[in-house]
Amino acid sequence: MSEPLLLFDNVVKRFGDFVAVKRMNLEIGKGEFIAIMGPSGCGKTTTLRMLAGLESPSEGEIRLDGRVMNNVKPHERDTPMVWQSLALFPFLNARENVEFGLKMRGLDAATRHQKALTWLDRLGMSEFAERDISTLSGGQKQRVALARSLVTEPQILLLDEPLSALDAHLVIRMQSVLTNLQRELGITFVYVTHSQSEAFAMADRVVIMSNGEVAQVGQPKDIYRAPANRFVAEFVGRNNIISGKVKSASKGKAVIDAPSGSYTVTADAMPKPGAEATFVISADLVRVTGSKPKAENAVAARLISEEFIGSVVTLFLESGDGTEFKVQVQERELATLDLKSAELLWLSWPAASAHLLPGG
Amino acid sequence: MTLDRAVTWVLRAWAGVVFTFVFIPIIFSLVFSFNSQRFPTIPLGEFSTQWYQTILADPDVWQAALTSIIVAVCTSVLATFLGFCTAYSDYRYNFRFKGAYLALILLPPTIPLIIMALAMLAWFSRIGASGEVWSIIAAHTVLTAPFAMAIIRLRLNQMDENLEAAAWNLGASEWATMRHVVLPFCKPAIISAACLCAAVSFDEFAIAWFVSGLNKTVPVVILEIVTGNIDPQVNAIGTFVFLTSMTLVVAAQLLFLARTARGTKQGAGT
Amino acid sequence: MNPPEKKSLDLYAMTWRLPVIVWQTIFFVGPLLFMVAMSFFVVKNYRMVEAFEFTNWEKMLGRGYFWDSYLLTLGLASLSTVVAMLIAFPAAYALAFKVSDSARRWAIFLLIIPFFTSYLVRTFSWYVILAESGVINAILGYVGLGPYTMLNTKFGTIVGYMTLTLPLVVILQTFALANIDTRLVEAAHNLGCKPFATVWRVVIPLAKTGLIIAALFCFILSFGDFVAPYYLGGSKPPTLPILIIDTTKSGQQWPRAAVVAIMMMVTLFAVAFAALTAAYHKRGRS
Repeated sequence: MSEPLLLFDNVVKRFGDFVAVKRMNLEIGKGEFIAIMGPSGCGKTTTLRMLAGLESPSEGEIRLDGRVMNNVKPHERDTPMVWQSLALFPFLNARENVEFGLKMRGLDAATRHQKALTWLDRLGMSEFAERDISTLSGGQKQRVALARSLVTEPQILLLDEPLSALDAHLVIRMQSVLTNLQRELGITFVYVTHSQSEAFAMADRVVIMSNGEVAQVGQPKDIYRAPANRFVAEFVGRNNIISGKVKSASKGKAVIDAPSGSYTVTADAMPKPGAEATFVISADLVRVTGSKPKAENAVAARLISEEFIGSVVTLFLESGDGTEFKVQVQERELATLDLKSAELLWLSWPAASAHLLPGG
Repeated sequence: MTLDRAVTWVLRAWAGVVFTFVFIPIIFSLVFSFNSQRFPTIPLGEFSTQWYQTILADPDVWQAALTSIIVAVCTSVLATFLGFCTAYSDYRYNFRFKGAYLALILLPPTIPLIIMALAMLAWFSRIGASGEVWSIIAAHTVLTAPFAMAIIRLRLNQMDENLEAAAWNLGASEWATMRHVVLPFCKPAIISAACLCAAVSFDEFAIAWFVSGLNKTVPVVILEIVTGNIDPQVNAIGTFVFLTSMTLVVAAQLLFLARTARGTKQGAGT
Repeated sequence: MNPPEKKSLDLYAMTWRLPVIVWQTIFFVGPLLFMVAMSFFVVKNYRMVEAFEFTNWEKMLGRGYFWDSYLLTLGLASLSTVVAMLIAFPAAYALAFKVSDSARRWAIFLLIIPFFTSYLVRTFSWYVILAESGVINAILGYVGLGPYTMLNTKFGTIVGYMTLTLPLVVILQTFALANIDTRLVEAAHNLGCKPFATVWRVVIPLAKTGLIIAALFCFILSFGDFVAPYYLGGSKPPTLPILIIDTTKSGQQWPRAAVVAIMMMVTLFAVAFAALTAAYHKRGRS
């Protein structure tokens, strides 16, 4: 990672008795696209608002480019934000909205005008420059909001669930608009969302928050394949989480006894035999076969239901002891299997695919 | 269901009767103002503009009209300012004793005017300001500020809760945000409130009568004419007052409608 | 949505918060408190002297004519409230349920107009219409009736009160009725509740809060009005507002007028408290 642009040093935010953010430590680099993700009430929006100066930390320090930002007023920092509600000024037209930040910085009318048009053009909105905000579509408003935030050429852009109100097909379009912009500008994006697909599709690193704490920080694929704890494993979803007792552990492999069977898991840190242990196996790494396969781990389960999402199908199954399994397979793969409800299927995976959660 | 239909028509007819009752005095006042009889009755006398000529030739009426206009304009500016301040404080901040704070501005209309009139009269004499035009303005401001507050508060309700923060975020100080965001957003409601406050002030007679001294307003002149004798001049003055007030009310209404048409709370999409 | 909380004095916040506090303290709380204090002052040689004596209270409350006025005003305001509520209800019911939305909006707009026409001019208009040789008696004369005396009677007073209160009462009742959940009314119909029983047992209880507030406003307006009882009711005996005017304007007995005003305020507080308690009281039975 490049040198940190932004630093959270033991940041705590309390609202009365409620602790919204508990002792956060985080470094964000120059030019990084970082997504902060978590369920509602996890503290992600509070974190973003502290960056914008709309809340100040109760304890600790936030530093931007080495400068302590704790008591810098919102209008005295250059941390523009794209709001969930967009918060465009309804009494101004698209161009005037974009010009707002420049006007507040005292630029003359001609320069403002020219810069605003440049940015609207860059976002493909030049023909809508003089339009009333209320006459624009959701996607167009989104672009105006982006232009308004970027026109002052900041080194960091804050985004608070900016795509949550858009239609699904527009979300995909805007995702590529955002990633391209971020790469071209080379500035830091801090993107708050509850949507895993948005975070994983765009971010260089993802911060997962739970109850005001950082649960895990890492690249999307690490978080997906190697969740740091049970919360992340559950939040990321599409994971089978299996708990049991360690039976034996040697040569980088551990055997875990769970109600549904005995499983082998590769592990870096060896757990002690007899200890409680939990491992996860992603739904898309599980193979489904009609007969018992030759594999390190295999379990028989009955099909309960299936869920089609385009070319991918999720199967929900139940083993003899009642443990639920999720399996994700390609739709065309499924054609080779003759599925009937309640038919006994075999699920299997290599030991290396499973991930042992640190600390049980 | 014929009974149902009959009931419906009876109810509508009753509503018609109520409306007739409400509008009879207004319409008759208009008719009488163009009627030659000193004591109007049926059959009506001839068409005449004599009452209008009388009042237009009366310097006291002109003087009262001038006073009324000064009072109404000053009242509407002050009351709208106070109403805006309170509405904004209520919208933006939570603080201790906020209930008492809001009661302070909202209570005056619930107190009978005659009581306010007596209290104002006594108070202004005590502080040596009885009979001044500005005492009427001060009293009318107390009376009308709550209406301004209510109208502007409703408008602020329609404001995106992040709009101010968005302006700070783009480099506007709180003061600049007030000037460039909050005031423009509230502008239709502010004008609307100013019109209504002016209209209420223009019509108020009890407090004005007690407090005005020699600086009579139009309603006070009406009150004195009515108390004296039967004089259809009153109807002619009433017509002018009616036209002035209605102009203000219709202006306020149109702005009220215009503001809902443009720029209400807007979300990201539809 | 607040910016970082500030412990020190926030100039911006105070700029918006303070003006109304200062203004209303000087021009609203000040006058009212002074009026209370004034009720203990004494008048000597037509001049008010600041003192703390109970003379005015004893003089006013010890006299029969004050209590006559008090009961008369209370009675008239109550009568006005009952009459206005009864007259307005069928009209408000029609506006709420029996006309189109646009008709309702127009009706409300029309009902706002009277607020901005001079109440004095309208009262004067009634004076001419109701007079012995006025419009109504002239019309009745054609069919051989009358003339009837309508001015300087309780009837005249009530006509005046209605001129003042009826538009507001109809508007408030219409809002109260239009806001109730019509599905409950339909449910009552479906359960075999007869129309009038539905109105009495379903519609009115559902609109209770709004209806009581309409009645309260009507009472406050009538109780404090001096125009109707003075010009149309003849003011014999005077109502409390007329008593205030007479005491203030002739004889300079401001302290005694203050006593009357305070008695009116106390009465109104009591009525408002009772009404609001009833309005927001949750009913025990369903």
